[in-house]
Amino acid sequence: MKVRFWGVRGSFAMSGREFLRYGGNTPCVELQTDDGQRLVIDLGTGATELAKSLMGTALGKGTGELPILLTHTHLDHIQGLPFFTPFFLEGNHISIHGVDPDGTSLEATLQNQLAPHYSPLGGLENLSAHVSIEAFQPGDRLALGPFKIRTAAMPHATMRTTAFRIEADGKVVTFLSDVEYPDPEAPDPQAVALAMGADLLIHDAMHPDDEYDLRRGWGHSPVCAGIAVATAALCKRLALFHHSPDATDDQIDALVASAQAQTSIPLFAAAEGSYVEI
Amino acid sequence: MSSGAPGYNFPRMQITFWGVRGSYPVPGPQTVRYGGQTSCVEVRSSGGGCLILDAGTGLRALGQKLARESGGAAGRYHVLLSHVHWDHIQGLPFFEPAYIPGTTIAVYALLTAADELQQVIGGITRHEFFPVPLDSVPAHFQYHEVEPGVRMTLGEFLVLPIALNHPFGAVGYRIDCDGASVAYVADTAPFTDVLHKQHFLRGLEPLSDADRETLAQIRADLVKAITRCDTVIYDTHFLPDEYKRFPHYGHSTPEHALALCVEAKVRRLVLYHHAPGHSDDLMDQVAKDYAAQGEAVGVEVITSFEGMELDIEGAP
Ligand SMILES: [Zn+2]
Ligand SMILES: [Zn+2]
Ligand SMILES: [Zn+2]
Repeated sequence: MKVRFWGVRGSFAMSGREFLRYGGNTPCVELQTDDGQRLVIDLGTGATELAKSLMGTALGKGTGELPILLTHTHLDHIQGLPFFTPFFLEGNHISIHGVDPDGTSLEATLQNQLAPHYSPLGGLENLSAHVSIEAFQPGDRLALGPFKIRTAAMPHATMRTTAFRIEADGKVVTFLSDVEYPDPEAPDPQAVALAMGADLLIHDAMHPDDEYDLRRGWGHSPVCAGIAVATAALCKRLALFHHSPDATDDQIDALVASAQAQTSIPLFAAAEGSYVEI
Repeated sequence: MSSGAPGYNFPRMQITFWGVRGSYPVPGPQTVRYGGQTSCVEVRSSGGGCLILDAGTGLRALGQKLARESGGAAGRYHVLLSHVHWDHIQGLPFFEPAYIPGTTIAVYALLTAADELQQVIGGITRHEFFPVPLDSVPAHFQYHEVEPGVRMTLGEFLVLPIALNHPFGAVGYRIDCDGASVAYVADTAPFTDVLHKQHFLRGLEPLSDADRETLAQIRADLVKAITRCDTVIYDTHFLPDEYKRFPHYGHSTPEHALALCVEAKVRRLVLYHHAPGHSDDLMDQVAKDYAAQGEAVGVEVITSFEGMELDIEGAP
């Protein structure tokens, strides 16, 4: 299985020279099995770059299928949706899977994003592809093509986000972004269960440990939280993800160096455009 | 900075471009020089008055600067919105002064839907979209509806809203201050192929005679409003071949903008709202080509980039 990072920046897309190596696009990750089947997690602005890479596939001809998982519907995780080209090609079949936010539904939320005052698209019904919105309950297991997925709800500021354990080709990738545990140093049992033995854990690492106290309650993790989960769950590799919009490339380099000093689990900061062979 | 007669500095407006991109922010190596953030322009009077045109993602960096300048003290800000598409409002929840108690943020926009402006703009921070609702931030948001053709006085600025041709409606603004004038014309389609109304367009639809009349009227009112403007900032999202493929998207080309500026005897045209796919190298070519086209017809044409500052001086 191959994991490719198309957007790794949290909260806000950052352009400029200081963000070129790790990239400024907001979250979007592509998983691909050895026989070429795909699964996408989140549709931040990175999805616009993913879309370009898909134009040479069946999705560029209007004969493709693509399942997309949404961790949650905060804007940085859906702002690329209106610009994801496979939606505009008739004949594509795209399914979007996520949990209904409190007090509303996933479908109503995405409809609202495309409502005529906000977007010239005017609504999901105007996307040319066949698009299905499929809500599930946290804890549900999903089977999307060759991908076997376990899900769990995680605390994230005023809402909950969905974490995923994804198995394919006999490998495991766990995705835990936009999470803030009650105590980041005490690994959350649900998170550990989801990450147990994972070949790759992708974890929220928005805050340097020494800045976390100032940002407690904002819904994101300090770097040590991902290390604690990876350690307790015996993960083989850890990818720091959802970088702060204020973190320059050099600052992220420093973050990685200080994080690696805390653990023997190999870790790296996810960088836009890079991929990991699992 | 140029000055007028020796030993005398004319008071002048200054504008700064914080986001020049259309549709969505585009980070990466292709946008380092022209910038990747979406619509946001700061207008300053010689007396220090400030107007903010659109609240796209460029607003975040502007907010950081304003908060720095004020030393964290409360202020009063006027934000004039062209319309409420995401690329023009997405920066609001990231505007640092919104988190400074005592601050007032007065937002001006065209009422484009049955919903109240507050619901639509406040709606971008519903809990499913953003963790902090605008209604609950320390700053106080005020919402004001604007009407095309009805002038407003905002501090030292005289502001004239102008109707434009864009899906669900948009307004431009002519701003007069310090004896000079600047107009902000984004987003708009030209006035020939489509009359944008309140429904989704899959492509071109036939125009009725009434539609053509409406278009001619919008265009005539726009030309009148920007007549003899010192500087006009214009939505030139598309190059001509792109426009041919997407005439129903609601954006113009530099040719459309230049023709209007010639007719309205505008001194300087600023190309703005660049398509997300336009790389720095392409923009260099665009800048060169249209500077030459402008020169041939007596209009100075410059291409905006993030961080660009311009003095707006009245005609001598
Ligand atoms: Zn996020
Ligand atoms: Zn979030
Ligand atoms: Zn726009």
